[in-house]
Amino acid sequence: MISVQEFLLRTRVEHQSLEAWIHAGWLIPPQTEPELAFSDVDLARAQLIRDLRDDFGVNDEGISVILHLIDQVHGLRRSMEALLNELRGNREDGD
Amino acid sequence: MSDDPYAILGVKREATQDEIRSAYRALAKKLHPDLNPGDKKAEEKFKEVSVAYDVIGDPEKRARFDRGEIDASGAERPRERYYRDFHTAGAQDHPYSTAGGFADFMENEDILSEILGRGEGRARFRIRGQDVHYRLPVEFLEAVNGATKRITMPDGATLDVVIPPGTNDHQILRLREKGGPGIGGAPPGDALVEIEVGPHKLFTRKDDDIHVELPISLPEAVLGGKLDVPTPAGSVRMTVPKGANTGRVLRLKGKGVPRRDGTRGDEYVTLKVVLPDRLDPEIEEFARRWQAGQQHNPRRGLEA
Repeated sequence: MISVQEFLLRTRVEHQSLEAWIHAGWLIPPQTEPELAFSDVDLARAQLIRDLRDDFGVNDEGISVILHLIDQVHGLRRSMEALLNELRGNREDGD
Repeated sequence: MSDDPYAILGVKREATQDEIRSAYRALAKKLHPDLNPGDKKAEEKFKEVSVAYDVIGDPEKRARFDRGEIDASGAERPRERYYRDFHTAGAQDHPYSTAGGFADFMENEDILSEILGRGEGRARFRIRGQDVHYRLPVEFLEAVNGATKRITMPDGATLDVVIPPGTNDHQILRLREKGGPGIGGAPPGDALVEIEVGPHKLFTRKDDDIHVELPISLPEAVLGGKLDVPTPAGSVRMTVPKGANTGRVLRLKGKGVPRRDGTRGDEYVTLKVVLPDRLDPEIEEFARRWQAGQQHNPRRGLEA
């Protein structure tokens, strides 16, 4: 688990932005009690949000849409991969 | 691969910083690894472009590069793992992944198990269950002070939701593995509970601060005194100074909304002088006789 301090340092994001991102539901910290803590996934996701905002000039509404679509694409890729692995496995067994 | 950062970004050597930035943005949008999860080439190109932008995107470094003081490799800042790296099939399930993109295919799971289950029912095909969204209305004070709420799910099961103190309106709480069932032994999805905080008859909330209006009597306004003031954590005694007027705001430090770090916001008390419903003759008589009061003009400077 990653503390808030470390998280801010590694993502180079301001505390206020972090609060806003959590509020918007873009980041959902896996631990809120007794104190806020984050996982590696949250870290990578925050860096993506920062890239979108700082480098690409995407506004808040745009970021919500992009995150949602990216998560869907990832879900699809993942199941596609699982499906292909399964089909390959079946074929080898048949030989 | 070209070594010239100007060529990589496709800008002229005399381009302005603005032109360089927009060239970088245009390329980065196309090449960012998180937007091209399956494309290795894009990642390589993105690295080149980032390094080039690191050098000539910064006016000082650019000047040093133009003078030949630093080379084109500049200073590549080590990048941590990309978001997409958490989504490969081998990786652990994580809370943001969603089956929303294909949930409709999964409704008829029989077909899949028929196709995939030929090898003596091995279930290597695993898909994490879908996240389920709920809305949960909570009362103002429950959100401020924390509470445990029970929700009933569509299948009749109940779920206890712990509302942490200081929860915001529209905040989403994630309950691990309380969502839809997984396929092939994969874990269930999560329940995402959006909190809707209701209004309160006395308090309003601004971030971590509580605002409240406190009616005071005329004698209390004139003479001051110690008064009981409601706060989310019960009433506290507050000293009202002599001559406190309507609109005067007093702060009760640390009587606001609890924060995650253990501190609390403040409560702001706005005073409101209230005359009795029925004026008694004594006060009328006093107002008539009061010389200084006749001369006092609170509307001075109000002329439009």
